[in-house]
Amino acid sequence: MSIVLSETAPAREERLKAGIAYGGTCAYLDECLSKGCLSGATRSFSQTYGCQHGLSLGILNTIRNAVTIMHAPLGCGVSAVNSVGQQGATFQRLRDPGAEGTIIINTNLDEVNVINGGEANLKKAVCYADREFRPEIIIVVGGCVPALIGDDIDAILADLQPEISAKLIPVTCEGFKTKVMATAYDAAYNGIMKKLLGSVERNLPTVFEDFDEYKRKYLASKTVNIFNVGSMSKADEDELERLLNAIGLYVKFLPCYSAPEDFSYTLENALNVSICGTHDDYYIQYLKQEYKIPFLIDTIPIGRKNTTRWVLGIAKHFGLEKEAEIFLKREEEALEKSLEPYRKQLKGKTVYLGGGAIRIVATAEVLQDLGMEIVGFKGHHIDNFITPVFEALEKVDDVTFNVATQQPFEQVNLVDKLKPDIIIIHSGLNNITPKYGAPILPLFGPTFHYMGYSGAFDIARRLLRKLQNNQFNKNIAKNLKIPYKKEWLEKDPFTYIVSE
Amino acid sequence: MSNFIERPRYACALGGALSTMRAIARAVPIVHAASGCGYNLYNTMNSGSAYLGGGYCGAASLPSSNVTEREIVFGGEKRLEEEIKTTLEIMDGDLFVVLSGCMVEMIGDDIDSVVKKFERAGKQVIAISTPSFKGNSYYGYDLLLEGLVKYYIQPAEEKIDKAVNILGIVPGEDVFWKGNLKEIKRVLSLIGIRANTLFGEGEGLKEIQNSSNASYNIVLSEVYGVKAAQAYEEKFGIPYITEQIPIGYLQTEKFLQEIGKLFGISKKMIEKVLERESGIYYDYFERFTDIYTDADLQRYAVVVGDANYAPSVTRFLSDELGWLPKLSVITDILTDKQKINLEKNYENYESGLKVAVKFDTNAAAVKKYLREVWEPNKNQKYYDALSPLAVIGSILEKDLAASLNAPLITVSYPITNRIVLNRSYIGFNGGLILTEDILSTLVAGR
Repeated sequence: MSIVLSETAPAREERLKAGIAYGGTCAYLDECLSKGCLSGATRSFSQTYGCQHGLSLGILNTIRNAVTIMHAPLGCGVSAVNSVGQQGATFQRLRDPGAEGTIIINTNLDEVNVINGGEANLKKAVCYADREFRPEIIIVVGGCVPALIGDDIDAILADLQPEISAKLIPVTCEGFKTKVMATAYDAAYNGIMKKLLGSVERNLPTVFEDFDEYKRKYLASKTVNIFNVGSMSKADEDELERLLNAIGLYVKFLPCYSAPEDFSYTLENALNVSICGTHDDYYIQYLKQEYKIPFLIDTIPIGRKNTTRWVLGIAKHFGLEKEAEIFLKREEEALEKSLEPYRKQLKGKTVYLGGGAIRIVATAEVLQDLGMEIVGFKGHHIDNFITPVFEALEKVDDVTFNVATQQPFEQVNLVDKLKPDIIIIHSGLNNITPKYGAPILPLFGPTFHYMGYSGAFDIARRLLRKLQNNQFNKNIAKNLKIPYKKEWLEKDPFTYIVSE
Repeated sequence: MSNFIERPRYACALGGALSTMRAIARAVPIVHAASGCGYNLYNTMNSGSAYLGGGYCGAASLPSSNVTEREIVFGGEKRLEEEIKTTLEIMDGDLFVVLSGCMVEMIGDDIDSVVKKFERAGKQVIAISTPSFKGNSYYGYDLLLEGLVKYYIQPAEEKIDKAVNILGIVPGEDVFWKGNLKEIKRVLSLIGIRANTLFGEGEGLKEIQNSSNASYNIVLSEVYGVKAAQAYEEKFGIPYITEQIPIGYLQTEKFLQEIGKLFGISKKMIEKVLERESGIYYDYFERFTDIYTDADLQRYAVVVGDANYAPSVTRFLSDELGWLPKLSVITDILTDKQKINLEKNYENYESGLKVAVKFDTNAAAVKKYLREVWEPNKNQKYYDALSPLAVIGSILEKDLAASLNAPLITVSYPITNRIVLNRSYIGFNGGLILTEDILSTLVAGR
């Protein structure tokens, strides 16, 4: 299906038939996926979870030399306060020591704007951003209210562009448009697709050397664009770069922490590689369609088998399988040896995982490698990109899979029944999860290492640390209550999943 | 008409209502909005309010109708009714409060009529309209309290003499709210006044219910909580006074004298209390007179904060620490009348100093005002630098402080560089703790 560039990206429930509500075994999930019967389900009781603008800002706020304008009433975009405060600058400076940190402006739409439109506020904000901060790009992110009052952000910015020195990027991501939170990634990429792709203008030297041009083209033919995600760390990037450098390839990471012009420069590179099918399929399929750049979307490089498969896929594209196999064998052996002492202590422990579906299923591979037993999964949403990731797992047909974006009420019910020894969980639920009393490992974190072979070792190391002293969660469980009724815990965990 | 805000220091009305609900034990919000509102606002509150966390029923546990395009087109009342019904089946709480987001307000959902259907459900369900385009978090605090007064709190059989409610300290937006309420309750109890702080330690729905028996409302703010106090006055006939938050010995002394006068408490009793408290207070101050003098810990200061903190902190620096505050920037959205009232709080410093007071909602503005109040370095042979300097503000002042080569002490929302539990910055104890935090920053390199 070809991607037509329009003002907004389509919702994933339509584009990918993605589902947000399911409860059953992994085997039945697989069957449902092949029949495409997951996208109709919803809940008669639901809890809050992220929306399009939250996750979009996760990418957009990392881009260099940019100011973000949240076109919405005051509450939208303030969730970026931790990145605005200092974290944003800290992580940006790992890649760009001079980075200024995140600057976000809110257009503060009020009652008058609701009646008269928000155009005047937006224009003033854009002019201020341009004059005060002199950024390369200004990204305007539209929330629910401008969508309802009919502000045409694309047109307003197009009108304003001649007066503004920064390039203006419209991103429409009203929260009510989709139930699949991950549509946010498409929304952010949609803005990039509209405004940041194109040919690169290079300053050519007066004396033109053929050699420089051959060299550039040669390097580009060996360079892989890897689509990083906000939940990755610099250590993850370094590990993936090490693995690809070892087989003679060069790496460029996109879109997080990129400079605006990187999106155009990287159109000359040889291959686009996804780390996670949840994040970037919309964008890299569009690049294939428009710029003929081949792409790979397969598994996520977490765990021994997944990492080997991921690197081999890339090697194959360049005809480097033989070299890769020799290298990867050595890497696997080294990891194997390093995990041995951890297996002794972790073997047989049961685990429940919750978070992005692809991420949790890939992480489960590390746990199986350590001899641990998976007793339950909770994935944010589900679509066919999960299939290759499942292939690395053994004996999970009867394991419970819950498709739920956060929804801790289903989680507490399941955890109460499954009684795992350890929980690996996404952020946002940890006012509740520790009250079960089990040790908890965060599923991701921008300062932790998870990917590649060294990431697998790091996961083992951290798991053992968590198991060595669980006093904190034990005391929490003993002294604090969960907000769910006892009767609820006795019911079927999927009671409130209904078809639309 | 509104103007844009660069790096806002508050969320929306729904955000303020949610952070206030977060402070009430066993009260469960039901958010009627798109999926992201509750969750994004939790993120705002969690990190900005020094890692407040989701608490009993916040974060991803917040029940939310998660309306989508279908509800926007056909109305969201049916979905809300379903969500309330299922929430009552699953969630363990004593009061359920429906709070509305922008989109359902714009499509005209009648949330009152939906909650009426649950009048006989055995649990109390009320609805409070909190459209985000009507105001910020502080406004949301007022909306929530107004709603509780209107729909939840019943008139008391009789008023209790010397019982007061404390309003104006906004949970979440005041990062130190719980410690502050504890200290204000303590200092008032010293002169025989019983303070109901509504959201303090050990307080809950019962105290909120009982708040109608107060004989006075003390609003510890010139700006926030006034609307709520007016609602109390209208429904229960409780008069109110506004006071700036008292930080340190001098301000708390004055506060107690004023409140004592209001309640006709004998001067003698107040003097006795003050004598004891000043003994304790200055015993602690005595500890650091050595280092204060030896290392010369007097500083110039720039203060950036909300309408509660900025005036009181600035006065404290001048009149108690003997510092030289040069600029005080108040970052709230304010009316001209509110600005004039706030400016009065900068008058009559015991030190005799005059501080430049500015009102601006944009974070980048502080630097601009600094150039106005202090002559910039033009490479003169002898330049009188604004040094040594300390910046007291929020985490948004981090880069400003770094560029001025000054340490930053965070007191006003957002604060992401520390974890705050029961710390207080107001009253006698709050003055000591603030002193501890400020001076610790200066000696941290030793």
